[in-house]
Amino acid sequence: MKKSKKIFWLFLAPSGISFLLVVIIPMFLGIYYSFTDWNGISEKINFVGFTNYIKIFTKDPGFRDAFIFTVKYVVVEVIIVNVAGFLLALLVTKKLRVSNFLKSTFFLPNLVGGLLLGFIWQFIFTKGFESIADNLGWAFFDGWLSTPQTGFWGLIIVCSWQSIGYMMLIYVAGLQSIPQDVWEAGSIDGATGFKKFRYITLPLIVPAITIGIFMNISGAFKVFDQNLALTNGGPHNSTQMLTLNLYNTAYTYNELGVAQAKAIIFLVIVGIITFTQLYFTKKKEVEM
Amino acid sequence: MKKNYGFKMFTVIALVMAMLVSIVGCSSSQNDTKKDDKENVSNEQPKDSNKKSDVTIELFQFKLEIAKALDEAVAEYMEENPNVKINVQSIGEGYSVQLKAKMQSGKEPTIFNVGGPSDVNDWSYKLEDLSDQPWVQHAAVGTLGGVTIDDKVYGLPYSVEGYGFVYNKAMFEAADVDVSAIKDFATLEAAVKELDGKIKSGELKEQFPDLEAVFELPAKETWLTGQHTTNIALSPELGSALNAFNAKKIDYKYSDQLKKIVDLQANYSSDADNKQKLCAVDNTTSVENGIAIGRVAMVQQGNWIYPSVNNVDQEIAQQLDILPIPLEGVIEDSIPIGVPMYWTVNVDASDEQKKAAKDFLNWLYQSEKGKEIIVNEFFFIPPFTNYEGLEAKDCLSRAVQRYTNEEKTMPWVFMGYPSGWCMDIMGTSIQKYLAGVQDWDEAIEYCKEQWEELAKDNAEN
Repeated sequence: MKKSKKIFWLFLAPSGISFLLVVIIPMFLGIYYSFTDWNGISEKINFVGFTNYIKIFTKDPGFRDAFIFTVKYVVVEVIIVNVAGFLLALLVTKKLRVSNFLKSTFFLPNLVGGLLLGFIWQFIFTKGFESIADNLGWAFFDGWLSTPQTGFWGLIIVCSWQSIGYMMLIYVAGLQSIPQDVWEAGSIDGATGFKKFRYITLPLIVPAITIGIFMNISGAFKVFDQNLALTNGGPHNSTQMLTLNLYNTAYTYNELGVAQAKAIIFLVIVGIITFTQLYFTKKKEVEM
Repeated sequence: MKKNYGFKMFTVIALVMAMLVSIVGCSSSQNDTKKDDKENVSNEQPKDSNKKSDVTIELFQFKLEIAKALDEAVAEYMEENPNVKINVQSIGEGYSVQLKAKMQSGKEPTIFNVGGPSDVNDWSYKLEDLSDQPWVQHAAVGTLGGVTIDDKVYGLPYSVEGYGFVYNKAMFEAADVDVSAIKDFATLEAAVKELDGKIKSGELKEQFPDLEAVFELPAKETWLTGQHTTNIALSPELGSALNAFNAKKIDYKYSDQLKKIVDLQANYSSDADNKQKLCAVDNTTSVENGIAIGRVAMVQQGNWIYPSVNNVDQEIAQQLDILPIPLEGVIEDSIPIGVPMYWTVNVDASDEQKKAAKDFLNWLYQSEKGKEIIVNEFFFIPPFTNYEGLEAKDCLSRAVQRYTNEEKTMPWVFMGYPSGWCMDIMGTSIQKYLAGVQDWDEAIEYCKEQWEELAKDNAEN
């Protein structure tokens, strides 16, 4: 017994130490900096207590706007990506001859880096859409990324396009883990297509849904590269997400202390939301 | 079975030990390099004490346009001085972020760049006093203002740059609009109107088939609107970058005239019917896809666009010239001239490194070979007075020099704006105005308030 405990700690040590070094310690350092007025350059670091936090909540409409924008974005993105990912998973698990081809095609955008994607899509939205609008006269394609609305939907399109393939894979794994005999049993009991889906498939892939939504929520909150490359917060900071707001606070305004405080608030918010979600979807999971 | 267990135990322990050793090994070797870096930076002795003459310096600079030419210049210098090794890193956009990261990581560069007074203020504890350098006495008037504190000079000016309305002479000639008659805002507006009328009536279609508008206003680039455009109005009010840096508040006396400048550019742009779309127009659209392909006749830009235009169309590049951006009733014949960036030496570097760094900068800007590189390879307008016989070759730099010689210039005060104000506040406010979200006076009021707020923060730091 004693021996196995030692082995347990020995096995834990490598990842435990790395986790401590790159996550836990920086987090505490960050908490410390959030109580200072450090500008990121100077050698003077003064302790200012809760001033930064008070400032964020009372005098920083930019942070509030970024927060609202991010929440809107997360809600829409999570719904689109999970629904579409699930539908695609259903499609590619149908025994089609092109299934494997489709699987890799849908997954492909995930392999492209976010910055690159942002710049490519920026070109598509501003130049490609513009020429469609000019040549066909469809006002829908006119002036993309120049209004807050098109900026929002542009971000949604790019990020969904990128992450749907990944979610699809998770759902494919979920669907394939359901044993065939359950469906057969269902058919013998006289269940039709939709009923089988509703009462067999859906409950059995809840674990996949839990993971899918969890990863998606935490990922969508943290989107940065696409935002930076596609709109850089424009027009007039109306598409600035929390991470970009944080980055600008730290590096444009040279207020590293305030940025750290924002990061802590961000951490708490994302933590609360994802854990609540985990708690509720976990309750829905059924044992096979 | 038992034996087997023992063997398993052995492998497990061996594996874990190996992992631990590798982790410890990694981290300790990292510590070593860090220590070395520190020694390099703070100690007088370089790493290899037996080769005392050898010195390695890190050069960290922001102008991507000269990256290649600078590499060549450095190679040439190293050939002449084999005991010096210079590692060059050119960054471009996001330079200040990268510089902070570099300084925090402990790998401090020996030579780096700072912008204006606010940068100098932020980095003051890292800057070596360069007052005793030979180039100081040759610096052109006004080029050292931003980096002088208590009569001590901390930076070597990169170059002189100027901006205004860069226009295509051929188009104005073809439209029979006399540029020499443009003396002030009223005459400029009249000329723009005339040209616009001729573009719309299709008169210039044959000669310039791609020409669609007089202006292009890349309002997405908040530096262009927030820094350069506003400088026209704030330069007469504040006088110098240093004054701007010290200003606790601004009156924005000439905001109405500034509005006219913005309106003129927006109303005669290709998106005049839907000005909101200007918020998505970027720099490339206005330069490489704008004036360089003959799509527009005029853009608010500076002599730095010459290489870009030249890369696209050499014929058009030859046709470019600069007109002042007139602030109606105040200053209507001058262009803003300034130093975009300064070379500085890290005060915490070793004495040998500092000497090597100073020698290199001196060579680059003051030796005969260096001067030639500055003018002919970098396409810089030299910020020094002792460059006899080396005239700028491109027409935009020549235009800037023309205004300098006629003393029709105004300073760049935007170098002293509070951090973040110009781009994140002013630039986005102009976007809001163009998009119709906010009217002009509201936008100006907001920007004035924010200036006070940010200037206060700066004072606290």
